[in-house]
Amino acid sequence: MKNYIYISLILTTCLFLSSCGEDELELAPQSEIAETNFYNNDREVEGAVLAIYDGLQELALREFALTEMRSDNTKSRSNEGDWAQFDQLNVAPTNYAVGLYWSVNYNVIFRANTVLAHLDVVQNETAKDQFEGEAKFTRALANFNLVQAYGDVPLIDQVVGITDADYFDRDDKNLVLALIVSDLKEAKELLPTKTGTEFGRATSAAAAALLAKVYLTQKNYSEAKVLLNELIVDSNYSLEDDYSDIFYSEGNDEILFAIPYYDDDSEESQDFSFEMSLGGGTGLNFLTSDFVNSADPTDTERAEVLFNPLDTYTIAKFLTSSSNARLCGNDWIVLRMADVYLMHAEAIMNGNNFTEDVRAIESYNIIRARVSLSTLPEDGTAQLTKEVLLYERRMELAFENHRFYDLIRFDLADEILGDYLTSTGYTYNPNGLLLPIPQSEINVSDGLLTQNPGY
Amino acid sequence: MTLKIKLVLIIVLMLNISLAAQNDYTVKGSVVSKSDNLPIPGAAVIVKESNNGTSTDFDGNFELQVKKGDILQVSYLGYISQLITINSQTKITISLVVDTNELDEVVVIGYGTQKKANLTGSISKVTNKTLDQIPVARVDDALIGQVAGVNIQMTNPAAGEAPSIRIRGQGSISFESNPLIVVDGIAVGNDADYLSSIDMNDVESLEVLKDASSSSIYGSRGANGIIMITTKRGREGPVKFSYNTYLGVKSVPDSEQLTTVKDWTEFVLANNGGVMTDRLTYINLLGGDNTNWEEVMMDGGIIQSHNLSIRGGTRNTKFNASLGYLDDEGVLLTDNFEKINLRLRVDSKIRENVKMGVSINTSLTEQRKFPLRSQDAIRQSPWTPLYLTEENIQFVNRFRENGRWADAQVGDYAVERMFDDYDLDAGMPVPSGGTDISTTSSTSALAKVLERDYRRYQTKVYANTYLQYNFNDDLYFKQTVAGDYRFTKNTRWLGIQATRNGAGDSKSTRSSSVDYHTILESTLNLNKNIKDHKIVGLLGFAYEYWQREGTSLTGIGYDSDIIQTIPASNLSGGYTYETEEKLASYFARVNYDYNNRYLVSLSVRADGSSKFGPNNKFGFFPAASVGWRISNEKFLADSKVISELKLRTSYGITGSNSGIGRYDYLGLIEPVGTAIDGVGTGYNPINIANDDLKWEKLVEFNPGIDASFFGGVFGLSVDYYIRTSKDLLLYLPVPGVTGFESALVNKGEVKNEGFELELNSRNITRDNFTWTTTGLLSRNKNTLVDFAGSDGLISSVDPKRPSEWIALEGQPLSTFYGYVTSDQEIDLEYLRNPFYPINANAQDTYVKDLNGDGIIDTDDRTVLGDPYPDFVWSLTNNLKYKNLDLSFMFQGSHGAEVRNIDQQYINNQFTSNMDYISTFPDKDLVVQKIFTDRIIMDASYVALRNVNFGYQFNRELIEKLNMRKLRIYVAAQNLLYIKGNGYVGFNPEGINEGFRNPLTYGYQRGASPIYSTISFGLNVEF
Repeated sequence: MKNYIYISLILTTCLFLSSCGEDELELAPQSEIAETNFYNNDREVEGAVLAIYDGLQELALREFALTEMRSDNTKSRSNEGDWAQFDQLNVAPTNYAVGLYWSVNYNVIFRANTVLAHLDVVQNETAKDQFEGEAKFTRALANFNLVQAYGDVPLIDQVVGITDADYFDRDDKNLVLALIVSDLKEAKELLPTKTGTEFGRATSAAAAALLAKVYLTQKNYSEAKVLLNELIVDSNYSLEDDYSDIFYSEGNDEILFAIPYYDDDSEESQDFSFEMSLGGGTGLNFLTSDFVNSADPTDTERAEVLFNPLDTYTIAKFLTSSSNARLCGNDWIVLRMADVYLMHAEAIMNGNNFTEDVRAIESYNIIRARVSLSTLPEDGTAQLTKEVLLYERRMELAFENHRFYDLIRFDLADEILGDYLTSTGYTYNPNGLLLPIPQSEINVSDGLLTQNPGY
Repeated sequence: MTLKIKLVLIIVLMLNISLAAQNDYTVKGSVVSKSDNLPIPGAAVIVKESNNGTSTDFDGNFELQVKKGDILQVSYLGYISQLITINSQTKITISLVVDTNELDEVVVIGYGTQKKANLTGSISKVTNKTLDQIPVARVDDALIGQVAGVNIQMTNPAAGEAPSIRIRGQGSISFESNPLIVVDGIAVGNDADYLSSIDMNDVESLEVLKDASSSSIYGSRGANGIIMITTKRGREGPVKFSYNTYLGVKSVPDSEQLTTVKDWTEFVLANNGGVMTDRLTYINLLGGDNTNWEEVMMDGGIIQSHNLSIRGGTRNTKFNASLGYLDDEGVLLTDNFEKINLRLRVDSKIRENVKMGVSINTSLTEQRKFPLRSQDAIRQSPWTPLYLTEENIQFVNRFRENGRWADAQVGDYAVERMFDDYDLDAGMPVPSGGTDISTTSSTSALAKVLERDYRRYQTKVYANTYLQYNFNDDLYFKQTVAGDYRFTKNTRWLGIQATRNGAGDSKSTRSSSVDYHTILESTLNLNKNIKDHKIVGLLGFAYEYWQREGTSLTGIGYDSDIIQTIPASNLSGGYTYETEEKLASYFARVNYDYNNRYLVSLSVRADGSSKFGPNNKFGFFPAASVGWRISNEKFLADSKVISELKLRTSYGITGSNSGIGRYDYLGLIEPVGTAIDGVGTGYNPINIANDDLKWEKLVEFNPGIDASFFGGVFGLSVDYYIRTSKDLLLYLPVPGVTGFESALVNKGEVKNEGFELELNSRNITRDNFTWTTTGLLSRNKNTLVDFAGSDGLISSVDPKRPSEWIALEGQPLSTFYGYVTSDQEIDLEYLRNPFYPINANAQDTYVKDLNGDGIIDTDDRTVLGDPYPDFVWSLTNNLKYKNLDLSFMFQGSHGAEVRNIDQQYINNQFTSNMDYISTFPDKDLVVQKIFTDRIIMDASYVALRNVNFGYQFNRELIEKLNMRKLRIYVAAQNLLYIKGNGYVGFNPEGINEGFRNPLTYGYQRGASPIYSTISFGLNVEF
């Protein structure tokens, strides 16, 4: 070979290499999509809507720590670490689950706001209404979770960036509740009925039921009553005959809104069933003796679903039928008709200690009668007291993440949790009714986020 | 394709090589080594300024056509070259002298070499003399204590597992600071995997580029230092075969951490008024100390290595080929590492001004991992049998847990819960009301290990070809094409008896990935001497491309252990992915030296990466260093005391982009699923876009002194450095209201400051007795300077046992945080069940009221220490007497601390923080031990790291066997290992959890134990 061959080889490589400019260094991702190329049509915005439901799946995984383990219903099995703080109603601002709950709820709000920000590209008007309704319903659900858990929280009504410091401080919870109410009112009008959409997506009735619960929390009993009256006569929904079927015949007519999961699916399964049913390794949501002893011995139909025959202190409501113990497919029920009936009685009670209103007693009785328990006379002679109604909610809706907020809504938290904690050797402190703002959030807020009292 | 063509080309060209010489007469000669008069085969003998030359044969003899006046140059690696003028001799004997002057040593510096004497940066060289005889499976394990400033820690020494390597401290806040690994000039990456795939037998030398001025020639990848590995080349001379092997036995010293039934029985009798508890009575009935779990789980192992290599060549073509096999059983119950290496390297001068070369390295590795943390495996009750036997099956409770063990048989794994509810009076198990003895609902630890099978397989092929064209004596062009292929497969099998949940937990996962890495690199090299001015110049381009594709599959619901792959019926999920990356680089360097006195080195590199956004696609990494060899000045030239004295200083900027993803600057949307029937895929944003994203930047200033005295008898090298890592790639926590938890930004600053000292001394140099000593000492101080508004951040590793770390500006990056214990213990009388589990003790402990406000609360926490050593040192002695040689290295580390939670598991069987009775008066004065300094231990150690004692047979003796060399040796590792005061555990170096986050470095939870190895080895050449 002659020298010039080598030299031309050298020149060619030099030319090739020096042509590697900036453009050559732009690579598009292959297994993801760059956001600059997205949200251009109806299908892509629907993709953003479905992402909200994906976000909700995270939300239900450990919510029980805040709502059941903090109440007299359940506790951690090992009394150890972060989880035991919930049992004692004395949760540290650094608690892992407290930080997680904050971020998953705001993540759902972010996903909902993302949909609202891109609605204008949607061509199909029906779809557009549905997407808007779904975004507003889920945003309200997450906001309601936040307000109940933490009190005053930042009100986020649009997609915010990391420099939008105006949004980082806490707003009066009544402002947040006002957004929740207006979101739900709009969602109720925009959303389809149960027959108009897939199971697992938001419906008009789900928005109405959640709104009723928000009204009860605000002690706005009259507005709640109107909504609950409508729901009770809604022919799309009815109580299941068999208590067990509510949980083990998924997609049934009692359910107004649920977060669905699949069995044995690495992405779409949950593990709360594992944690609370088998006791798992960590043993969370383990029954307290207070709950076990409170159960009425004649309440045999519900007892089958409340208590695991293998271990009375574990829950049988969400027993998995999956092959893998940790990839469970039981749906998480957020709103169901039994709750609607009992809220109906609560609305009629109108904040009093009892009611003699027959419509309230009817709603109470229908829940009792289903599981063959004694009922109250419906002739106007009976009294339904607050305590009796609350007890019924405790048993009927046990482990469905209602107990702690029911106690607060019924203004009985101080009394009942005070007695309960004394019995377990801890001291009750009413500041514990609000969770601490996660320390990690306070750290990054540049002093804008303040802590709840007592932490 | 290119590779294939080049290979063919090389082979064709090799066949065409011919040598023609016509000269006056033939001279016969022999070349011997002056020290022992042994012949030197393969020495090069060339006539200067001609094409004429040869090399010596097996017996050191040569023949060459010469004419009067020719000058013969005789050279051999490791010896001083000699020039002989031909007068008219017909027979000559040339005695070569061993080159003991380390300053003439040549050091690999990245895209070139340099004389060590003229270095202006901080580069340490380790030549593989006996490194390949250290009985360890990985290259990095053998490097412990070899280089000052390089801290290699056996953080989890299971078979094949990587140690941690830190060169001059931790600079990144978000990612591990692993050094870049460069093999034969090609940057393969900073993945420690590469160091497990190389056979130490194939390594010629290792260079560590420590300061930024040295590593900045690798620009965006140099910030964590660079380990350059040079593999063996062929040598001119007759074909030599060598076979190296060793066989070693590994064992774990007894730790005496486990309490026996016997000891506990005595303790209970002494503290319980001489009364046995029912439980202990039952335990003794069941056989007492049935199992020593430490012996079962840490069962020792055997390591063996075999390497066969062929090395040889002509003046123009040299080759080296080798085949290696290593099997390391590991000291834990199932861990094992196996490696096969195959390698070929050919370098050929195809024309007087054209050189080509090719090298191919292939490795196959298979690692079986110990599937538990070691503390989990040994914290078992000593009374628990391994299996059910004829003797113990009578105690199995067939009623409990719905008759779970109704069908228990001899040979089944023994599980603690099987033995509960035993009626001592009736002498039989009962459905309820009997004596319980179990402390856990877990299944047998033995089943947990044996019924899991976690493996990692890797195939790596690394090929490199080059062509070098010399324009003239001063200027050459070199084109390199290299490729790197890596296949990785991880399999995990969780059998149907592996957990307490049985088949419900059975699972098989298979994930595999393929990585391709292609490198095109062109350099123009200048080597010009004009009188006293010497200039070495480099100008280069490089283009690199990476691709990765991967698959991951999960199978569940197995009802037997027969099929462990994933049949369609068991498939529960899976996905594939692909990513790419490109890097384009332009670099230049000038090394200037005036009269071997004044030295200057300037370099610059510009790297453009696809990983960064449009605003900062290219990074710019300049460096400068200067040196002054005072000893070459006239006033010192005749000094009898000072033979070498050089002052040098360097300043450079280098970068790091490791750790972050390939598309992280973009806002990415990923597909997500729902469990809603009948709808499509969801799409969700997963990160916050950052167009300004760029490299972490390291700025380093490094003055140093190199000196040697009395003609090289005593040498010394001192370095001082300040490294500032800035613009750190940081997952900055952001307010959750944005929908995200963190955003990737360039913020923060970390400083590492320290010094390194290398001393060497030739204590005795006689013909048949030599003794040399090398001492290394280094100190590094790590400081978090700026934490971008997160000063005071508290982190923890495990939500269940949330011990705390604090990131405080002005303190080391990882700082332990918590309470200070007082001496007071909780009295036994206040414990709920002081005698129930064996070695029960309180989980809580009294702590000090540091702020003196009368209450114990979070304000009483303080800084408790850090995991970084103050000093790391080693002292190596090499002795040689006649045919015997002995070398040994002591190595130590001082001042580091470790947060060791193992005791918490092993000796504290209580799980409740309410383990005191309700009348305990001091509830408010105690906290859990995990939050205190009680579990922070001194991680200092002194180890006799390596010993090697060998005997080389006389040549006359082995010649009959056609051998050229035969050496046998005994080697040992960690023969002596002294742990720091107060350390209780298996491995003070063990750091095996939370370490990927540098803010929580220093957590020990079941690290693999330190072990010792004794091995026997053999080196044969024929």
